[in-house]
Amino acid sequence: VRCQLSPPQRPLQASAVLRRVSDEQKKEPLASSSQQQFDSHPTDHQREQEPQGPRPSYTGQGGQESEDYESEEQLQHRILTAALEFVPEHGWTAEAIAEGAKTLGLSVAAAGMFHSDGSELILHFVSQCNTKLSELLEQEQKLVQLGEAEKKPTDQFLRDAVEARLRMLIPYIEKWPQALSILLLPHNIPSSLNLLTSMIDDIWHYAGDQSTDFNWYTRRAVLTGIYNTTELVMMQDSSPDFEETWRFLENRVADAMNMGNTANQVQSTGEAVVQGLMGAAVTVSN
Amino acid sequence: PAGGVSLRLCSTRATLEGINKPVIDRVIRVDHAGEYGANRIYAGQMAVLGRSSVGPIIQQMWNQEKDHLKKFNELMVAYRVRPTVLLPFWNVAGFVLGAGSALLGKKGAMACTVAVEESISDHYNSQIRTLMEEDPEKYKELLQIIKQFRDDEREHHDIGLEHDAEAAPAYSVLKTVIQLGCKAAIFLSERI
Repeated sequence: VRCQLSPPQRPLQASAVLRRVSDEQKKEPLASSSQQQFDSHPTDHQREQEPQGPRPSYTGQGGQESEDYESEEQLQHRILTAALEFVPEHGWTAEAIAEGAKTLGLSVAAAGMFHSDGSELILHFVSQCNTKLSELLEQEQKLVQLGEAEKKPTDQFLRDAVEARLRMLIPYIEKWPQALSILLLPHNIPSSLNLLTSMIDDIWHYAGDQSTDFNWYTRRAVLTGIYNTTELVMMQDSSPDFEETWRFLENRVADAMNMGNTANQVQSTGEAVVQGLMGAAVTVSN
Repeated sequence: PAGGVSLRLCSTRATLEGINKPVIDRVIRVDHAGEYGANRIYAGQMAVLGRSSVGPIIQQMWNQEKDHLKKFNELMVAYRVRPTVLLPFWNVAGFVLGAGSALLGKKGAMACTVAVEESISDHYNSQIRTLMEEDPEKYKELLQIIKQFRDDEREHHDIGLEHDAEAAPAYSVLKTVIQLGCKAAIFLSERI
């Protein structure tokens, strides 16, 4: 395999260099270089591997070196994770990040590594929640495979997955509307959209979706709609333990299932009508 | 979502560890679209020429394409690849191309087959080169499948030639136009 590393050709950022060096040493499969040659959309990869300025990337969770040396990105992740504890009090702000840095024994100036609008903190949080959801779904799948749990019907699976994911917002619910508006800022849209689509795709994957036609898109679009609307309902919900939200979710999922059935029924009816017309045409022509 | 590479790789999927996801995604997406289109082309040809003397040979080639498509459906699920959004479009365009070329006569249909199968073989060859350059060991199974399919498509191409494709009306124009269309389809399906 020819060596495909070409560091001099790419603008070097500290963490990217660090990661690539240890990637090369460990021949880590996530090495950026092999993707560079064939991917004619390098922008997304470069976003993962070369954060503009000191900002970390969330669409990537690379840089998991086990050497004693911690990369800049790993450090940033640690600070952001520590900062989450302070979000209920300070919101998704530089103050929360500063407090988080303090608990790690770092100077509050460490918050200067991040954007002032708290984007990275929010994206980090979303990425973490998505990972937790994937792990949860993976474990459930293992239990089913081992025969220790029943396979859930699709509608219940979707409901439970969306509920589990939305419940992760509960500790931060007061400040979540603020986070949503920040996620919708133009410079955050690519990352937040990526995280959303990956999460929805994960849910469908574990739900057992195997579509390879346009249904792939329809299902994901429908689930995204359900997720987003339920999230918004949750922001306004003041019922105990968000009962109203879960009921809303149940209804939306039921609607989606009906839509699928209706589509099938329409198709069968259509086919029957066509056959009827063909029969009539043949009869008339005779 | 092309940017979600590392994130998705980090979720637990043992079968997908270590592969170059963006490259494999494209390979499987475009090949799936190609086999889907080829299926529709043969379907269109059969709709017009099904009862003619070349009906059986077209049916035979169509059956092989159906097998190819089935294989790519499996690979798509295994590698969690997104299908191209353009599938509904290829559905119609393929059928129209097949039926249209068949309306030019049996030789027209064969000419279409030659053009398409030549494009597909070249395309598979370049994919084989790409995967060999990446890592022949890691992608052994995929390489085997693509090589087999490339051989099948080559065979279809030869069958088309045997059945007087070159005697079709405006053969060289037809061939060029169809091959340009195939190139565009490949370009688009890899990306969207």
